[in-house]
Amino acid sequence: MAEVVLKDLKKIYPSQDGKRRKHQKGASGEKTTNLQITDEGVVAVQQFNIEIKDKEFIVLVGPSGCGKSTTLRMIAGLEDISCGELYIDGKLMNDVPPKDRDIAMVFQSYALYPHMTVYDNMAFSLRMRKVPDEGKEGRTRKLTEMEINEKVMQAAEILGITEYLSRKPKALSGGQRQRVAIGRAIVRSPKVFLMDEPLSNLDAKLRNQMRAELIKLRERVDGTFVYVTHDQTEAMTLGDRIVIMKDGFIQQVGTPQEVFDHPTNLFVAGFIGVPQMNFFDAELKRRDGVCVVAVAKMDIAVPADMAEELRAVPTGPVTLGIRPEHISLCDADAPNAITGRVDVSEMMGSSVHVHATVDGKDVVMVLRTLDIAEEFHGSFKSGMDISFTFNFSSVHLFDRQTGKALIGNRILEPSKSGPIGKS
Amino acid sequence: MIASHGTRLREKHKKMAMTLAFAVICLIYIMPVALVLLNSFKANAYVNTETFKLPTSESFVGFRNYIKGMTFGNYPFLKAAFYSFVITVASSALVLLCTSMAAWYISRVGSAFCKMVYYLCVFSMVVPFQMVMFTLAKTADTLNLNTPWTIPVIYLGFGAGLSVFMFCGFVKSIPVEIEEAAMIDGCNPLQTFFKVVLPIMKPTYISVGILEVMWIWNDYLLPYLVLDRTKYMTIPILIQYLKGSYGTVDLGATMALILLTILPVIIVYIFCQKYIIKGVAAGAVKG
Repeated sequence: MAEVVLKDLKKIYPSQDGKRRKHQKGASGEKTTNLQITDEGVVAVQQFNIEIKDKEFIVLVGPSGCGKSTTLRMIAGLEDISCGELYIDGKLMNDVPPKDRDIAMVFQSYALYPHMTVYDNMAFSLRMRKVPDEGKEGRTRKLTEMEINEKVMQAAEILGITEYLSRKPKALSGGQRQRVAIGRAIVRSPKVFLMDEPLSNLDAKLRNQMRAELIKLRERVDGTFVYVTHDQTEAMTLGDRIVIMKDGFIQQVGTPQEVFDHPTNLFVAGFIGVPQMNFFDAELKRRDGVCVVAVAKMDIAVPADMAEELRAVPTGPVTLGIRPEHISLCDADAPNAITGRVDVSEMMGSSVHVHATVDGKDVVMVLRTLDIAEEFHGSFKSGMDISFTFNFSSVHLFDRQTGKALIGNRILEPSKSGPIGKS
Repeated sequence: MIASHGTRLREKHKKMAMTLAFAVICLIYIMPVALVLLNSFKANAYVNTETFKLPTSESFVGFRNYIKGMTFGNYPFLKAAFYSFVITVASSALVLLCTSMAAWYISRVGSAFCKMVYYLCVFSMVVPFQMVMFTLAKTADTLNLNTPWTIPVIYLGFGAGLSVFMFCGFVKSIPVEIEEAAMIDGCNPLQTFFKVVLPIMKPTYISVGILEVMWIWNDYLLPYLVLDRTKYMTIPILIQYLKGSYGTVDLGATMALILLTILPVIIVYIFCQKYIIKGVAAGAVKG
């Protein structure tokens, strides 16, 4: 069992600046930058509560400086925990040194020992370790070279690095070094694997390849994974659950599909999904008991299931979000049609990404090639008029002030983009 | 085309002039050592009168000066060489071990205290030995540091400045993730240092070690002031005592012993010069 529980975890970096800034602002604990600065210092992570199940692959994702690596380092024991509790396998780990937490870590820069061969890099932790001595109760012993060799060869075979065992890290490519770093982690069979942006130093092609390898590896290796990345594609493809962070706070925790379909706030909605969700300033109105959203000079009646959720929400300004895949082309005179002008289009093969301007606002649409008339398969010409409509059952509404989602529980329908060029 | 030919010619003349200038500077540097070498094969009388001439059939005495230097007086040359060797090796080892560990701590902890210690070490390089030599001699006497077995402690104090400076420069270039990986792999801080950090710092150890060896082996003043000369002498001190009756000095034998003293250092430098240059440059750039 390797359940990891983080209870109200907080990390403060002491700073002399903290006190000076607070006195300058005059308010107590007031946010002066994205990260909270208090008397004690800069708060990098706060109110971090999560229970990671045994053998779960959890991904911490967010922009740079959001606290994801700090959280990972607190789990590893490389950073002190300012406040809160960390449990691994039911045991409190706050004051336990890293070597006694039964964890393994893969660093962004691989952190291989440059003076050792690949074999020695992988064997190093096994040589430092002591195991219970079967013959003598209560006593421990070091692993024999034969036992170490068996474990190293097993891990090397899983990762396909047996032919590199006698080489030093400087004689390896980036991808090979990354495999060795992963091999060094799995050879110990730890309870928890911690990975701090392990693929970020690789080129795009190798990154895709290694991502697939990590998915396969996960099936072969027994353990709980905590993976940190800033790349939402990695988060969506690898994680059983994703933890989206911003400015030291958790924004949302959920499966990839949950965070994609039901983002809890504007930040999550804009962070997850490529291309990014389109946002429009809108207004929620009620007319003769019917819930209406006024957007892009139109009043669009809200579907019944959405209206039910919006019953308790007061009228007023809102932000409407619509994913590029949920926008359909239509004729200019179709109901609820919005007309814009094409800026740029990108032919992606199975789809076309069209960037258009509507009332000075940029809108991105992802249109399936199958749904577009043949004459537009090359590209949409810059400057041409384009009419589209929202698939309103896939629309997201957010409070304009707080950014929180106003609707969250409905089932989204797949997008339907109509062919253009039809009268 | 004419312009580029002219430019090439000017570049050629410039290179020739630079080569000539540096050749002259090299000769000026090598001259003292060459003079010592030449005069070590001359009879005493000719060292004074024909200092700058090559040995002739009259002046050349072969290795007689070397044998005389090594056997002259009451104090055996080999004993002095032994003490020089012991002091050099022990002091260098102590300096390397202690200053590398100190530099690692200073670079990684980075507290205000560490910064103060670092600047004190740098400042100690500025303080001339002559300012502290009298009080040092007295203190060494009081604390019984006046033997070849205990003088390494004093060399540690004087050698720490430059060594800490050079090691700090190199430690900063070692990614801290390597040490964090070692901590996760099961190392305590001492194991992290000896199993991971020290092997990575090998080039710097060689560079600093060579500089320390060169300094301590050739040092005259500190052993002269601190050691009990009735019992302990190093080679540089022994050379000074090459006095005959009526206080005359056999210059030929003196030159021979000087050459014997500097020969090991020259040999070490020839084989290890790339590490010296690398180490000094690394310390200068990163420190």
